Amino acid sequence: MNSMTDTVAATPLRNDAAAKMTAREVSVFYGAKKAVDSVSIDISQDNVTAFIGPSGCGKSTFLRTLNRMNDTIANARVEGQIVLDGEDIYAPAMDVVQLRARVGMVFQKPNPFPKSIYENVAYGPRIHGLADGRAQMDEIVERSLKRAGLWEEVKDRLQDSGTALSGGQQQRLCIARAIAVDPEVILMDEPCSALDPIATARIEELIHELRGRYAIVIVTHNMQQAARVSQRTAFFHLGSLVEYGETSEIFTNPRVERTKDYITGRYG
Amino acid sequence: MRRRIRRRYAAERRFRLLGLGAILLSAAFLAFLLVTMVSNGLGGFRQTEIRVDIDFAANTLSAASAGGEIEAAVAAAAEAQYGPGGARALSDTAWLRVERAIEDDPSILARKKALWLPAASAIDGAAKGDGDGEAEALVTRLEQDDAIRTGFNTDFLTGADATDPAAVGIWGAFKGSLLTMLVTLAIAFPVGVLSAVYLEEYAPRNRWTDMIEVSINNLAAVPSIIFGLLGLAVFLNTFHLPRSAPLVGGLTLALMTMPVIVIAGRNAIKSVPPSIRDAALGIGASKVQVVFHHVLPLALPGILTGTIIGMARALGETAPLLMIGMRAFIATPPDGITSPASVLPVQIFLWSDEVSRGFVEKTSAAIIVLLAFLLAMNGLAIFLRNKFERRW
Ligand SMILES: Nc1ncnc2c1ncn2[C@@H]1O[C@H](COP(=O)(O)OP(=O)(O)O)[C@@H](O)[C@H]1O
Ligand SMILES: [Mg+2]
Repeated sequence: MNSMTDTVAATPLRNDAAAKMTAREVSVFYGAKKAVDSVSIDISQDNVTAFIGPSGCGKSTFLRTLNRMNDTIANARVEGQIVLDGEDIYAPAMDVVQLRARVGMVFQKPNPFPKSIYENVAYGPRIHGLADGRAQMDEIVERSLKRAGLWEEVKDRLQDSGTALSGGQQQRLCIARAIAVDPEVILMDEPCSALDPIATARIEELIHELRGRYAIVIVTHNMQQAARVSQRTAFFHLGSLVEYGETSEIFTNPRVERTKDYITGRYG
Repeated sequence: MRRRIRRRYAAERRFRLLGLGAILLSAAFLAFLLVTMVSNGLGGFRQTEIRVDIDFAANTLSAASAGGEIEAAVAAAAEAQYGPGGARALSDTAWLRVERAIEDDPSILARKKALWLPAASAIDGAAKGDGDGEAEALVTRLEQDDAIRTGFNTDFLTGADATDPAAVGIWGAFKGSLLTMLVTLAIAFPVGVLSAVYLEEYAPRNRWTDMIEVSINNLAAVPSIIFGLLGLAVFLNTFHLPRSAPLVGGLTLALMTMPVIVIAGRNAIKSVPPSIRDAALGIGASKVQVVFHHVLPLALPGILTGTIIGMARALGETAPLLMIGMRAFIATPPDGITSPASVLPVQIFLWSDEVSRGFVEKTSAAIIVLLAFLLAMNGLAIFLRNKFERRW
């Protein structure tokens, strides 16, 4: 044992002044099995937060608590408190549908609707009544596709199927779809794991561009990616949050032994 | 090594031959069925007619004459023209044709007019090469006079059941089947699809839903006659709905078709990828929106296929309809879903039970109509499936 501790480190960024979301002692159970163990974390408004950790350590599970996607899993149960802009998102008065419009999600496998590119983006604004008339909808679709960096590639074939695009384009379409409802937070669960390196680079670039406008949380098993795209990194292991801090700190000077072992590739 | 490869090739060849044999066998059965039906049944679509010269000026008929009078006058004219037995060469309902002719053109009442009237079934059979000596002699005599012809039987396509095989029509039973199917579809489709949606998307997984699932699976396997008894007990004896009506037939068949639609619907809904649901939920679609905007449209081809299979089975169903009184003799096509009606399979059953020879070809002709109906329904299913399966 060297001087490093092996406890869940004090989370120095807990009271980040610009915290968009705060989680306090959040645990998630699948039936009797505890998948996430008492995690407390602040999600910054202006920074990209990366969740890293070995497979099965509960990153996705915790991410999905942030927009209550775990509600759709029959035997999942969440304990603790998660606050978005001062509102407890698990409070009975919270409308889950509204919450998910405010906290959007991009999934591991690109999952465009089997509809036209236009429809994919327009669907969210339509069900939330964000556009008055066709012209305004066209505007939203164009703006969202531009922000997702897809506009130039698809502007001449908006009526083509979204599922006919390449994997990387599909994932950017999914990002455009999430952006279209004007969310405050975007959660991304390993958005590049099904993509080739060029498409991955394109998405990473996009994350840089979106930073600041949206609070972004990205789960990744790729440490280089976390280092490239994020300013904050949280290391999860066996359901617990082991260490959380500035990305540069975590990668150059981890304070917990387990973090160091993981980052140096001792296990994963 | 070489031997193993050879053995593998031999096994593959054997398997291909077996598969081919199975296909050929079923094709042969199908061809046999079709050939028998068509060769027996085509005659049913043709009808022998005999020319009778009626001198309306000489008899006492008027536009107001009763049926009996016309019948007697027609019989007299036939006897005068073709000797004793001439009246029996005509179908019992031949006078109806005369009545219609008078209605269409009352001016013929002042002249002598040659009318083509349907022949009795014995003559009809003889003209088509299947009759006894006496009838065949008459047919030969008529042929010499150019007084007999065989043409397309429009009455068969527009009429209803009758006691005389020469006068029967299929339209009554066809319309009855159509109305019954409409009732079945109107009940079974929405209820079946909604049950499937509820069970797949909403119902919690517990002992109750397990039990419901088992019951539905069992229901789909219950013999159809049991549904007939259920329909008899519930719709006729408890609710006192009209007997022999397409409404009751449709309700009874709906009970039978519903489980099929529920099972097909659940499978179709289950096969919609969960990632689509996640995608919609992830941008804030409500559960109902997820189901109606995404899941159901994607599941629709499967649901439609299941529905058509269920409906096709219902269309051919006979036993439960016998139980609720649809075996009555109904000589007029139904006006609506509450008037007494027959349906195609029951009509086939009733005609096949008749002793008169004339019914044999009518039975086969009715089977051809039923098969055509089934083929049309399956064609529609394939069309709808391809239309909705265009998954971009
Ligand atoms: N729907 C589920 N039902 C039961 N257990 C689950 C479910 N989803 C995930 N788990 C379990 O929870 C743990 C954490 O999973 P997950 O959050 O997907 O990990 P990660 O995303 O870090 O790889 C794993 O042990 C996994 O087996
Ligand atoms: Mg994961």
